[in-house]
Parts: sequence; C-alpha cells; structure tokens
Amino acid sequence: MSRLPVARTDLACGLFITILGAGALVESLRMPRFEERNADPFTVPGLTPGFVSVVLLILGAALLLRALSGRTATSQIGTGVTITQWNRGSVVRTVLTLAAVLTYGLLLFGHFPFVPVTAAFIFAFTVGAELIAPERQLSLLQVLLGAAVLAIAGAFTLHFVFTDIFLVRLPGGRWW
Amino acid sequence: MMDSLTRLLASIAEIGFSAQIFSVLWATLLGIIVGMIPGLTATLGVALLTTLTFSMNPNEAILVLVCMYIGAIYGGSRSAILLNIPGTPANAATAIEGFPLARSGRAGEAMAIATTGSFLGTMVGMVALAVISPWLAEFALKFTSFEFFWLAVFGVALCGQLTSMDDVLKGWIAGFFGLLISMVGQESMHAYARFSYGDPNLAGGLSLLPVLVGAFGCAEVFSVMRQEATAPIKAKVSGVIAAAFSSLRYAVTWLRSGLIGTFMGVVPGVGEDMGAWVSYAAARRASKKPEEFGKGSVEGLLAAETGNSSAVPGALIPVLTLAIPGSAPAAVLLAAMVIHGLRPGPLIMIQQPDFFYSIVAMVFWGSVGILVLGLTLTRPLLYVLRVRREWLMAMIFTLCVVGSFAIAGRLFDVQVMIAFGLIGFLMRETGFPVAPMILGVVLGPILDANLRRSLSLTEGNLLGFVSRPISAVLACIVLVMLISGLPPVRRWFANRTKAMLSRRGSDG
Repeated sequence: MSRLPVARTDLACGLFITILGAGALVESLRMPRFEERNADPFTVPGLTPGFVSVVLLILGAALLLRALSGRTATSQIGTGVTITQWNRGSVVRTVLTLAAVLTYGLLLFGHFPFVPVTAAFIFAFTVGAELIAPERQLSLLQVLLGAAVLAIAGAFTLHFVFTDIFLVRLPGGRWW
Repeated sequence: MMDSLTRLLASIAEIGFSAQIFSVLWATLLGIIVGMIPGLTATLGVALLTTLTFSMNPNEAILVLVCMYIGAIYGGSRSAILLNIPGTPANAATAIEGFPLARSGRAGEAMAIATTGSFLGTMVGMVALAVISPWLAEFALKFTSFEFFWLAVFGVALCGQLTSMDDVLKGWIAGFFGLLISMVGQESMHAYARFSYGDPNLAGGLSLLPVLVGAFGCAEVFSVMRQEATAPIKAKVSGVIAAAFSSLRYAVTWLRSGLIGTFMGVVPGVGEDMGAWVSYAAARRASKKPEEFGKGSVEGLLAAETGNSSAVPGALIPVLTLAIPGSAPAAVLLAAMVIHGLRPGPLIMIQQPDFFYSIVAMVFWGSVGILVLGLTLTRPLLYVLRVRREWLMAMIFTLCVVGSFAIAGRLFDVQVMIAFGLIGFLMRETGFPVAPMILGVVLGPILDANLRRSLSLTEGNLLGFVSRPISAVLACIVLVMLISGLPPVRRWFANRTKAMLSRRGSDG
C-alpha cells in the first residue's frame, strides 16, 4: 500500500524525534550525579533533560506509530506539510538561496574584510535571484547596475551603522 | 488607583513632550514597512531592531521595540488587503475580508477600517495591560517553584496545542524540542555543561537572540525565496478618513474583539494570530449579516484587525508579570529587556513600577503612531509593496548575520543563527509550528530550576506538585489539555459535534 506523502514525512520526522529523544535520554543518564560531593540526588544535572527527553521520546514514538498506520492528523493531504510540494522554480530558488547564504554566513563572514564580502554577497544573490525569476522586467544591464549600487551602498551603510554608531567591531578587519 | 493613573499620565506626557516622540514615529513607521512586506514578520523586525538598540538607554530601546512590534502587526494588514497575502501570519484573517473589499474598489475604506481597528484594539489591550498586570504581578508573588514548574509545562503544552490545531502532536513535539535545546550549556546548580562535548561555545549555552533571528529571520528568507513571487499592485485609494470614522459604529465588535484578542495575547506563546482568528470567528457568529463574511465584510475585517492588535499589549502582560512571553515577538522583547538590564517578573510593581507605566505609555504612543501614520501615509506606503523580494532578501540575511554577531562578537552565534534558520525552515516545511519551540527555549531554564528545586524541597515526593491549590489547578488544566489533545478524544468530540449538527439539521 502506498502511503500519503504527508504520512511519509511524518514517518521520517517521527523516526528522527524518537532517535533524538532516545539519544538525549542516554546522554542525560550518563551525566554525573556528583555523589562524591554529597549532592542532593534531586538536583543532578541530568534530571530535567532526562524528563524532557522521555516526553520527547513518547511524542516522537506516537508520531512514528501514527505515520506507520498510514494516518495523518486530520486525514487530509497538506496539513501544513509542504516539503513534498516542489516545482522546478522553487527548487532552483531554494538551492541558490542555500548556496549563497551558507557560503557568506559560514565561509566568508568573519574570515575576510566585511565590506567587500558583504557587497559581493548582496550583488551575487540579487543578480542570481533576478536572473532566474521568470517575471523579471529589467534588462540585464539594469539588473547588474542596480545590484551593484545596492551591494556597495548596503555594505558601506551596514559597516558605518554597526562600527561607527553602535561601536561593534565587525570581524575581518578594515579593507580600505 | 489615583496614584497609578497619575503615574501613567506622567509617563504618557514624558514621551509625548520629549524627543522620544520622534523615536515613536520612526520605529512605528519602520514596523509598518516591515509588516507590509510579505515574508517579514513582527518577530524578525523586533529581533533585528534589538541588535540596533545596544547603544540606546533601556527606556528608549524598549520604546522603539514596542513601537516596531505594534507597527509590524498593523502593517501586515496592508499586504493582506491589497495583495491577498498576509504581511505577517497575524493578518491572515484580515485578507479574507480585506482583499474582496479592495477588489471591489474599496481599498481605501478597507485600509482605514484596518487602521481604526488596530488602533482601537491596541487601546483595549492597553487598558487591560494597565489594569490586569499589577493584579497578576501581585498574585504571582504567591507562586513558588511548584507553580512555576507547572506554568512552564502549561505554557509549552498550550502553545503547542493552539498554534497547531490541526496536529496537536507536532505542536507539543516542537515545544519539548525547544525545552531540550534550552538544556544545552552550563546548568545553574552544579555548573555542569550539558550536551557540550568539550566545546566551550556550547558550554556557554545557546543565546536566545541568534536562535530567534535564525528561526524567524533566516528561515523567513528561505521560505520567501522558495515561494512563488507576488505580482506588483496598482490600487486606487480614496475615502480613507470618512471610512475611519464609520468603523466607530461597530462598538460592540471592536470591544468584543479587543477583549478576545487581549486574552489570546495573555496565553503564553499564542499571540496575535489566534487573537485575530478567534475574534473573527466570534464576530461571524454574532453578526446580523453573517452571509457577508468571506465576501468583504467590514465587521469581519474590523474584528480581525482589532483582535490581532489587542493581542500585542495582551502578550506583554505575562512578559512583565511572569517573565513568560505571550507571543513570539514578545519573547524577543523579553530577551531585549534582559539584555538592557531590566528585570520583568512578579516583582516588577515593587522594584520597577515606573518602568511598568512607561511600557503602558509606549503602547499608547505606538497605537497613536499607527493611527496617524496609517491614515496620512496611505498612498506613499503603497510603494513599499512594489519592492521585489529579490532586492530585499540579501539585505535581510546580511542584517541577520551582522545582528547575531553584534550581540556578543562571536562567530559561533552566526553559526547558531544559520543552524536555526535551517531548522526553522525544515519545521515549516514539515508542518511543525516554530513558536512553541521558541517558547520552549525561553521556558527551559524556568522549568529546569523549578523542577529540581521542587523535588529537592519535597525529597522526591511528587505529591508536592499537586498539594498546593494553585499548582493543583494548573496541574488539572495541563492534564485536561493533554487528554483533550489525544486523537481518540478529539475524534469522539468531532463525532459528537457532527451528530449534534445533523440532529439539529433534521429537526429544523
């Protein structure tokens, strides 16, 4: 019998939550009891995480069992679950966003001077998002020029606001 | 009583007759713009603005955040009316009535009604905030660790239940997942670093603000880019002022919606979305013209906007008196208060009564701000809706990154923000509500400290959790809530309702 996409999603989520709850419970039980310090047994660090993980384990197992039985919450397709509904446009946009955001946030920010990497990120993201948008009305030259202005103005403004007004030292050092 | 009123009026005058009034105007306008842009929520606006308030004095910082919050919840009505896309989730009910009105050439009237509704709703909520908070704070002084434990469980369970009505199980999972996240880092009794695996960053725990900015800001960027684009609008605007006055005729509707919205705001973690929906449903039931609902009902629009706006001051009531947020933006506001050295909680009326009255005055000026700006800037604000997401999202993400970094100057916070952006995005995609997770992160330390303190006091005797009157009542409520959420019980209720309706149908 083939399952509804929602039930398949719930199955994966239920499995993940159950494993997470079980793992957290094991970790909670492994936490020290501080018996050598004569600590009160009801104040040990693993107590609350243990309680929370047990509840999470039960809830995860309930979701898993519900999905295994092929049922969803309201027996309707699409109860807020959208992960199964993709088209080419949404895939391309999501991949572009993830790639740009992860590259800037994890690899560039903090390791290179703020203004050039931020300007490069804003420029690349804006141009990329515009080029894949079917409803684009601007010419390529307009997009490139507009994105360049936005990138330079945005990067310098953010740098000025955070470093000179809010006195936050941005990582990567000054560039100019 | 007279002393309270004098203090409140003094606080209102202090803001109104000083340079702070400019902060009210710019922060409310910024909030309206954030709320108007589909995809940018009030939570994101308040979280990003928090990172920009570090150099401000505490009162001014909270003033601009409160105004941003009020402005954003109201601003979402514009895109709901003109694009049929709620600017924030709280404006979903607004779109049902506002868009048909706009389509029939009454966009100006719809925007005016939404503006008046938001103003009146915030006013009703403000009165409730001023009246209920001192009483609740005094009552909360009787709370011990047992009551605070139940309050934390109650908050997570109720928020999970109400934000995920279709699938309560997922709401509860999200809430307890948040509680588990809050366990990461050094605990308060033995200084043991839980779930840290020797990493000094994890040992310090996960700061609330990067988690919030990630779950609501970064995840929003992913979600907005994943969806289809919206077409730019061309709306004719006229008859704004006259329509604003005409909505005053529906006094019963806005008063009822204001009270319902305020109550929904007070309930931990539920907030504006439910305030709007429950008010809208009540207005539909009570209306003399229920057939107009869904086709452009002025009464329905007024109820929805009054409901969501009154939930804003409502959500501040538990923040100020119990240090428990009534909604997701209120959770950010709570974090901002802590960052600025303010201590909301049961002792607020004893330790910081002036701060409490300042907050009420801020709500007053925020609502005046939306009324003035909403009615006078109707046409210029339409241009905001023409900005394409492709030109906005990179800037929003950059602000998320820089804002997260600015809190403590740690790159680790940026990584946390991105991680929670991905988690928040996946949760939305798989049908899990994000608000209970955030409430869980906020309530985790309260649950942890009070569970262990209570068990230590009773030497492990669980009867202590139900032997005090207040904790027994809270325990009963949690139990009833959990039982009512069980699938067989829900099915039984659904079948019973169906049977009653069919019996009524055959009788009538």
